[in-house]
Amino acid sequence: MNRNETNETAILEMREISKAFPGVQALRRVDLTVKTGEIHGVVGKNGAGKSTLMAILMGLEQPNEGTITIAGETYQSMNPQEAIQAGIAFVPQHVAMMNSLTVAENILAGKLPKNKIGLVDWKKTNQEAKERLEKLDLHLDVTKRVEGLGVAEQTMLAISKALFGDAKLIILDEPTASLSRSDINRLFSFVKSLKKTGASFIYISHHLEEVFEICDRVTVVRDGKLVGTENVTDINVAELIMMMVGEDVAEYSRDSTCTDEVVFVLENLARRGYYEDINMEIRKGEIVGLTGLQGCGAEQLGKGLFGLEYRGIGTVKVHGEEFTAKRPNDSFNQGLAYLPQDRYRYGLVGVRPLKENVTYPILDRLVRLINLVNRSEEKKIVQEYIEGLEIVTPGQDQPVRLLSGGNQQKVVFAKLASTRPNVLILHEPTQGVDVRAKMDIFRIVDEMAAQGVATIIISSEIREMIGVCDRILVMNNGRITEEFKKNDKNTTPENILAAIEGETEKNE
Amino acid sequence: MKSKINKIIYFLFDNLIWILVLASLIFFSAFSEGFRTPYNLVNILSRTAALGMLVIGQAFAMITANFDLSSESGLGLTAMVGGLLLATVENGGLGLEVSPAVAIAAMLAVGLAIGWINGNLITRLRMNNLIVTIAMLMILRGLVYIISPGATAAFFPESFKWLGAGSLIKIPQEKGFLAVPVSTVFIVLAFIVAHIVTRYTQFGRNMYAIGSNITAAKDAGINADKVTRQVYLISGFCMAIAGLLAAGRLDSATPRVGAGLIFPVQAAAVVGGISLFGGRGNMLGAMGGLFLWSILDVGLPIMKVSPFWIETSRGLLLLFAVGLDAVRVQRMRKRALAESLSQSEIGMADTNIIVN
Amino acid sequence: MNKTKMNIDWIKLILDNFIWIIVVAVFAFFAIQMTNLFFTVSNFINILLHASVLGVLVIGQTIVLLTGNFDLSAEGIISLTTIFAMWLMATPRTDAGGAQASGLMLHPFIVIPIILLVGILSGLLVGTLITRLKMNGFIVTLAMQLVLRGIALIISEGQIMTGSPKLFNWLGGTRINGFPISVGVTLLMYIIVNYLLNQSKFGRDLRAVGANIDAARASGFDPKKTITRAYIISGFLAAFAGWMLLGRLETSISSLGEGMTLETVAASVIGGVSLKGGLGSVGGAFAGVMLLSIINNALNLMDVNPFWVQGVRGFIILLALLIEAQKFRYKPKVVHDDPILENKTN
Repeated sequence: MNRNETNETAILEMREISKAFPGVQALRRVDLTVKTGEIHGVVGKNGAGKSTLMAILMGLEQPNEGTITIAGETYQSMNPQEAIQAGIAFVPQHVAMMNSLTVAENILAGKLPKNKIGLVDWKKTNQEAKERLEKLDLHLDVTKRVEGLGVAEQTMLAISKALFGDAKLIILDEPTASLSRSDINRLFSFVKSLKKTGASFIYISHHLEEVFEICDRVTVVRDGKLVGTENVTDINVAELIMMMVGEDVAEYSRDSTCTDEVVFVLENLARRGYYEDINMEIRKGEIVGLTGLQGCGAEQLGKGLFGLEYRGIGTVKVHGEEFTAKRPNDSFNQGLAYLPQDRYRYGLVGVRPLKENVTYPILDRLVRLINLVNRSEEKKIVQEYIEGLEIVTPGQDQPVRLLSGGNQQKVVFAKLASTRPNVLILHEPTQGVDVRAKMDIFRIVDEMAAQGVATIIISSEIREMIGVCDRILVMNNGRITEEFKKNDKNTTPENILAAIEGETEKNE
Repeated sequence: MKSKINKIIYFLFDNLIWILVLASLIFFSAFSEGFRTPYNLVNILSRTAALGMLVIGQAFAMITANFDLSSESGLGLTAMVGGLLLATVENGGLGLEVSPAVAIAAMLAVGLAIGWINGNLITRLRMNNLIVTIAMLMILRGLVYIISPGATAAFFPESFKWLGAGSLIKIPQEKGFLAVPVSTVFIVLAFIVAHIVTRYTQFGRNMYAIGSNITAAKDAGINADKVTRQVYLISGFCMAIAGLLAAGRLDSATPRVGAGLIFPVQAAAVVGGISLFGGRGNMLGAMGGLFLWSILDVGLPIMKVSPFWIETSRGLLLLFAVGLDAVRVQRMRKRALAESLSQSEIGMADTNIIVN
Repeated sequence: MNKTKMNIDWIKLILDNFIWIIVVAVFAFFAIQMTNLFFTVSNFINILLHASVLGVLVIGQTIVLLTGNFDLSAEGIISLTTIFAMWLMATPRTDAGGAQASGLMLHPFIVIPIILLVGILSGLLVGTLITRLKMNGFIVTLAMQLVLRGIALIISEGQIMTGSPKLFNWLGGTRINGFPISVGVTLLMYIIVNYLLNQSKFGRDLRAVGANIDAARASGFDPKKTITRAYIISGFLAAFAGWMLLGRLETSISSLGEGMTLETVAASVIGGVSLKGGLGSVGGAFAGVMLLSIINNALNLMDVNPFWVQGVRGFIILLALLIEAQKFRYKPKVVHDDPILENKTN
């Protein structure tokens, strides 16, 4: 696209946006154009740069390079107020409304209609709010408190609010996360009807089938770069996924270390709202991949098994004994360890030193009399892991937040490995990690499997999983729907992608 | 059916305070003759009018999800300032013997100054509101002692005492008159005015907005810091009026006036439905909280309950109210998510609805 | 980036230990100004006596602050334990000032564990309310304080009791060559606790929970238990301080300990303990204790109106808060929410 050309039907043009954070290039010359009255999907894995791009659009971050043109006005950088003035509105996943106040009050906050004496006229307020909503064909009880609304209603209300605030471009961030199918239908028909009023939307979601349902065009971001923008009618789901999945795939292949001994059994696990009929048998030394769209239930299953969330009903057995752990500490003790996807929030205590982070779960073993930590033994163990995992650090006392992403991940691995687990659950283990570190991590996983650890990898990196896993299970809407075996001719990225999307075509 | 039961429960919860007020009125009236005399009933609120003003001030702050724990000392300080200005030297004052109007003006000035300081420390210097107002609690109380040379300043002009001790109407009785205190009527009016302000003015609604979700409020264009400062000013103003009421009623000002009120203020507000988390509750409910407190304050001693037991029960009441508040708000916050879970068709075998 | 970080670390280091410089400076100032009154052995002892009781409380407060919470109930525990102890121990020789003692005349060796238990139970209750019901720690401990003081009033009927038994008083009252052993005990406690916090599993637990409660949980800690334990320890120490204080004064009044609670917060914050949790040490808090005790003492010597002192305390708290707010300015920016991509080498 010619730099000097402005597309007149475009409500938004982001050009050559680059953004670097300390030690990281988050965005590299990304372009994004949204036409007026368009619903434009933006997809990409976690860490691909979507959030940064949106942050820049909302004025929360300033780009190092590039320009933003909104309705003809061009900006080099914006602050949040300017973004709002320009017509950008953001509807977060968990809508930020004044929950203890009524719908009407949320809509008209700050500008409540007054009567002749200057006091708030509630009747008028309710009426006006109702009228505004009805113009958008939305029928809500405006006298109800927002917290009493369903999530779908709250989302639609948030969108309406944005439009009332003269928003030209509304960013929807994972709006369907907690919605039922009928809720989604309602939300979508609502959003589609708004197009006629000239409103434009950016739709961020991991639910690719939804992107196809509601978006006109879709842009794929990967590893901070723009992969491409396509009309939704010109591609299919599988192609979209291909665009999303990184090329920086660690081509790691290994020989299976799977034995015949079944060590981890899940029987009829079910959790209301997230998954059901989960049955699995994992053998000693086996690596099983678990994949699916976000919201398929894999994430909650992982967390539930570890004890970070409620696990649901059903039985779990480790080495034939019932696994009763309901909390992370018990899980560690009963031989199950979990690598969280969000290592900043769940994986590491950033301000504390490396050595402490590694030994948190095994302090009981390192403790001598009266709860005192045996420092020399701790040092020895930590040093072993530093060497074994090739962790790059100035020293054992370095606060982990100062390490690079790959090394931080290795620290988390060290922590898990130190608990000597029988079962290891990894959630997106290579996320936010560079290629070299990825190889290191797979080597670690390989070694642990060789020592007999039964491993589950919950991931969206299909190519990586094909190389590493003995089996890959696909989850869809809370159920395990497909299984792909290593070295089977049907185990191809395309087939797996199709299964993830719910379409199966197996060649016998 | 379930939603109907829920509706009834919510209604009861929202109006719990009035049920408690009614219950306690009936209880004490039934058990104690001394309680149900017209004189006593009419005077219940008069005794706690000053406290009531502090409750109003604190309620304003709590609605915005802030605290003002300095109010008891503000009461003490303004009362002492007024007392010193009015009383003769023999009666413990400075001997200036200013007119009541001047004294009241000075008290208001002091109250507003306190509110100004609090508001600015919290919004401009971004200091923690709990700790700041508790520090002010200590500083102001110290100031009260410093400025009072003797122990008590007493004997004020009639017109000054009118608000705190005067009578509004004299209802003829069998023997003599039943005097309806100005303070009783005043405090009820004050709550009504406060209710009008919080429910029917833009400013009042902005308060709720900030308390409910400060980010959403800011997005709607509300200047959260400004509203917060104004709220603390109001709280300061309430301290001054409370000082006026107290000094008028006691016809004296001592350094210890108001000490310990910090707890009943909190308790009355929370029991009356004002949530610690902000954005919830109304002034009428807070008035109910004051009612309840006052009834207990009068009724328990009449029933010969030891003052020390009363002290303890105050703390327990506060604990109970805060606990109830916490449970209630947690429930409300999780409702939407819990509902969407229960509507899901996945995992029907699991009957537990757990929102993590 | 590294260069700025180095400078930031130096500033932080100075700020962290600056407090001791201030302590010494303030001490020197008063020593010069009021040499006769201030710079005497008996005065030092007075300072240390105040510091010893305050110091014990501050240990508890610091531990709770490290988890990111507050404990304002210490005063109430002191009040209750001193009165309860007297009530249990009172013999006909005790001057109960008109109040009814229990008549049990329990031996101090039984009473001491009992009151320590009271402190523990109070902390347990508070911790449970805060972790299970998710109540606001500030208000809960404030209310608890009221309840405890109320119970103290009920037991003592508002009277002052004097004459605690010798066997009880040994901790607070004994002096060796004029030097109170309570001071030594407190110092010892600081050394031990400091060591334990840095070297023990529990210390790691506290700091992890205060710094990042989610990661702490996912690393195997149980934040609910940790926080409750912190409050139990704080309650225990408050009871211990009560034992010390009663032993020294040999008198129990319900108003004992009034005003100390916020002093403990002030001392901790001055000493570098963050109100947000996860950062700080008892060593720094001890500097805060010393500073406050010195200032307290000096103001008393200057015959400053005792209520000025109250006011000054309040100012110091505000100052401490300001310092705290400034310190956070120098903290390196919070790590970005989005998982950060590695810097590509090619």
